[in-house]
Amino acid sequence: MQTVKLKIQRSEPSSGKKVSYDEFEVPVEEGMVVLDAVHYVENNLDPSLAVRWNCKAARCGSCAAELNGMPKLMCKTRVDTLGDHITIEPMKAFPVVKDLVTDVSHNYEVAKKIPPFTPKPEMKSPFLINQIDITRSKEFRTCIECFLCQDVCHVIREHHSDYFGPKHVVKIASLDLHPADCIDRSELLYHEGGLGFCDITKCCQAVCPEDIRITDNAIIPEKERIVDHVYDPIGRLIRVVKGRKW
Amino acid sequence: MMSSKKEGRFSVPELLEFNWRMWSFVLLLLLAGAVLFLNPVNPYHGYVDPFYSPTVFVIPIVALFRVTCYAYRKDYYRHVFKHPLACRADIRGEKDNRAYSGERTLFALNNFHRYFLYAGILILPFFYWDFYKSLIWQTGYFDLRLGSLLLLFNAILLTLWTVSCHAFRHLTGGRTDCYSCKAAPQFRKKFYLGQSFLNKFHENLAFISLVVVIGVDIYIRALMAGMPLDFTFIKVLL
Ligand code: SF4
Ligand code: SF4
Ligand code: FES
Repeated sequence: MQTVKLKIQRSEPSSGKKVSYDEFEVPVEEGMVVLDAVHYVENNLDPSLAVRWNCKAARCGSCAAELNGMPKLMCKTRVDTLGDHITIEPMKAFPVVKDLVTDVSHNYEVAKKIPPFTPKPEMKSPFLINQIDITRSKEFRTCIECFLCQDVCHVIREHHSDYFGPKHVVKIASLDLHPADCIDRSELLYHEGGLGFCDITKCCQAVCPEDIRITDNAIIPEKERIVDHVYDPIGRLIRVVKGRKW
Repeated sequence: MMSSKKEGRFSVPELLEFNWRMWSFVLLLLLAGAVLFLNPVNPYHGYVDPFYSPTVFVIPIVALFRVTCYAYRKDYYRHVFKHPLACRADIRGEKDNRAYSGERTLFALNNFHRYFLYAGILILPFFYWDFYKSLIWQTGYFDLRLGSLLLLFNAILLTLWTVSCHAFRHLTGGRTDCYSCKAAPQFRKKFYLGQSFLNKFHENLAFISLVVVIGVDIYIRALMAGMPLDFTFIKVLL
């Protein structure tokens, strides 16, 4: 029977267990995904292995991990796409709870800083929405909050800056581009959000399992909004003449 | 003021890192600049070299349009500065002890991209004009040659690259939050959708147009050196 060798990172900071790697050999079945292989280990070889998952259908975003160094969903990645040696590590940008489980709660703290949807005061009902407006903000609503993009972003992963991160820019763009919303959150991104740290290198876009064009459709448009207000002399002039703060 | 949370740790300033990629890139740019300025191409048999159209002084403007373009920015941040080189953990070339300021210090200047875009748009018609002139370079004749087609091809690619620009996309449609609010959004909507479609290929267009413009320049230089690379498709007396 064909098998695959898994090399899984183990650790548990709360009980002082340092990082080590365990190897397991797992029989391969037709169409098997990495999460299946990890479940095989958990059920048959080492029940102490910690892994977080929920839907096994690329919907909940719980099973994010690094497979051979690339952030991916374990439930959406077929074993046969990775060769016969697979290294499975937790997301490096977040603190490990145990083995493959990371603590992503920082993201929820950042999310609280984003002003929620605020309808324009002059809104009439019913509000007829044009398809183009739906298409634009719907792309961002497919985000499953897997945080793979946050994990791969070098600004967060290596430089530990206060940059909100691509996932949150996606959220902000979904609100800013909403036809009935009246807040411009690019100001928040410029000051507190640290969008200037992003150098549009598109790793976030490359790993997004929902194929959201994060950099092209969310980050660059928000950067351009900041240019309107901060860098473009004509935009600044308009701001001064109209007496606007942002 | 936001900062990187790495206080107390020494890092070599970004531009002073030992980085052979950056210095070879700088050298390459200087050499290319010197070659273009010291060996200008005069119109030859009705062909105007795209680097010198309408004048040699557009070179710095066009260069800055390229340098500040989002597509090239991505590429040099990755391949010249390795921030990061690639996305995969083992080959990303990014380390947490390296200094990094992103587009907040020197590279914040890239935010002036739209002004070079405006200049680029002003220059575009000249390429079509050069194509037209190359057709009628001999008085009384209409002369369609390979070189003319290359000039046209180059003009079209430069147009596609310019039109697919992210700043152009923002200025012409992206900044509108509410298409549902406009009385007659039909044209703007179509334009924005078409432009967004092109925008998906912006990186490819950036590189193809760069290679083609350099190719056309070399082609015209080769013709001047007497290489028999041109031929006529149609030549008629007007
Ligand atoms: S494009 Fe920006 S947000 Fe995305 S990974 Fe690169 S630096 Fe991070
Ligand atoms: S934007 Fe994509 S990669 Fe980022 S959290 Fe959402 S689904 Fe995951
Ligand atoms: S288990 Fe839900 S996304 Fe993988």
